[in-house]
Amino acid sequence: MSSPDTRFEAISIEGLSHRFLSRNKPPTTALSDVSVRFPSGKVTSIVGPSGCGKSTLLLIMRGLVKATNGHVRFLYGNGSGDLTAGDAPRMATVWQAFNLLPWRTVMDNVAFGLELSGIPTAERRAKAAEAIRTVELSGFENHYPGQLSGGMKQRVGLARGLVMSPDVLFLDEPFGALDAQTRLYLQEQLAALVESSGKTVVLVTHSIEEAIFLADHVVVMTARPGRVAATLDVSLPRPRTLEMQKEPAFGDLFAEIYGLLRDEVRKSMLN
Amino acid sequence: MTETSQAVRPEAEPLKTPRPADERLTNDTWWYGPAAIIAFLIFWEVAVRSGNVPEIFLPRPSVVVVTLYDLFAHKRLLDDLGLTLFRIFAGFLLAAVAGVGLGLFMGTSRRFNAIADTFVAALYPVPKIALLPLLVIWFGTGNAFMIALSALGGLFPVLINTVVGVRQCDEGLILAARDLGASAAQVQRKIVLPAAVPTIFGGLRLALGISIIMVVAGEMQTARYGLGAKLEQAGQVLETGQVFAILLLLAIVGVILTKAQDRLGNFVDRWRAK
Repeated sequence: MSSPDTRFEAISIEGLSHRFLSRNKPPTTALSDVSVRFPSGKVTSIVGPSGCGKSTLLLIMRGLVKATNGHVRFLYGNGSGDLTAGDAPRMATVWQAFNLLPWRTVMDNVAFGLELSGIPTAERRAKAAEAIRTVELSGFENHYPGQLSGGMKQRVGLARGLVMSPDVLFLDEPFGALDAQTRLYLQEQLAALVESSGKTVVLVTHSIEEAIFLADHVVVMTARPGRVAATLDVSLPRPRTLEMQKEPAFGDLFAEIYGLLRDEVRKSMLN
Repeated sequence: MTETSQAVRPEAEPLKTPRPADERLTNDTWWYGPAAIIAFLIFWEVAVRSGNVPEIFLPRPSVVVVTLYDLFAHKRLLDDLGLTLFRIFAGFLLAAVAGVGLGLFMGTSRRFNAIADTFVAALYPVPKIALLPLLVIWFGTGNAFMIALSALGGLFPVLINTVVGVRQCDEGLILAARDLGASAAQVQRKIVLPAAVPTIFGGLRLALGISIIMVVAGEMQTARYGLGAKLEQAGQVLETGQVFAILLLLAIVGVILTKAQDRLGNFVDRWRAK
């Protein structure tokens, strides 16, 4: 569908609904009529109360879960302003639970995706070594995940995604399992990485600060069934620094998002 | 401030200092087991000598060792040992291949599991030794019979552990692999199977032990050669020294196999080491 002179412009979610069936409970509606667009080359955060279906939305976009209704379209443009749907771009995901293979070394974990697609050993090792360098883990190639700290594990997770040179990087609560300091440090590293690479990033998080700090747009979702409450633009300049969290613009946006989320969080605790 | 706090610190007895990490890593208890066995043997030797126990009831360890040497030197016990080991391992290997294969299939295919689960539930609790008469009718009393006995004994521990191992596979690892483009077959081979390896290995350990028991028991019932057969024959003519010698040999075989499995297990689990 996409010819060489077109470029990837956006992921478009159109009227997406998803229901979970379970054996001894009535089906739960996780997502209800979600329509939202993730522009290419930008970082878009999705925030929402726990259980609002934001991780499910990510799995659906990634093609790992099939939605009950609605579409995920990958839009391509040729410069004239018309967009046409095309094949999925290259995508990779970084997970909250890291999901590293514990029986493989750092090197073999990072090279795993290349191995699956049949890249010869020498080539994939060279590429993996480079990705490991990018996330500052050189020297740990032969360690097993069990020998690493949480922050190091997630850097391996990031390298494993980056080595696939994805057009779109999905981050599913990537720092949710880490301590506060490690989290801050990795947020800064990630901000620098996405700024220099210009990748399309979709970040699912429950941290409002993280959503604002890393993103160009913030999608705020309601409690289950998840709907889009608002899409807000982040006007902070790049490169982002942690000091920006003290700026009035940051505070205002935080207040606006929290205002939207407050009642939703209460609802999510009650159901 | 610092001065006062130092002054207040009581001059109590020094805390028991923990052993440094590198010292804890060295295995300094390796000789406890062998030493306990030697102490036990000495006690046995002395007790039998001083108690004047007739050799037909309880021979001294030194007599047992001499008898064992004698059996190897003059009664071709090495042939029996080889035959028994062959029967054990041939059956164990069959059990391992069939158990892992069927287990992978049962753990991943809902339909196959629905069919096979009832068979497993029905056959697993049957004492395999109770199948002896049937197996003799089918296979005679030769190697095929022994190997079938050994395989039947080993099959279920491997099968059941493989199913458990496959089911326990972390869903997140499968998602991560699919995210990186893994096909269904690649998920099986590169995620599900390796994730189940420690559990499968546990099943293999149980299976080898059961295979040994089955073969020796089978040999005692029907065979003319093999350690079990020689054990039975020695018992019938009240050669208590030979009975003990063969039991000693079986114990030695058991220790060697267990230790070899430990080594292999440590290698398989090397990624767990800190």
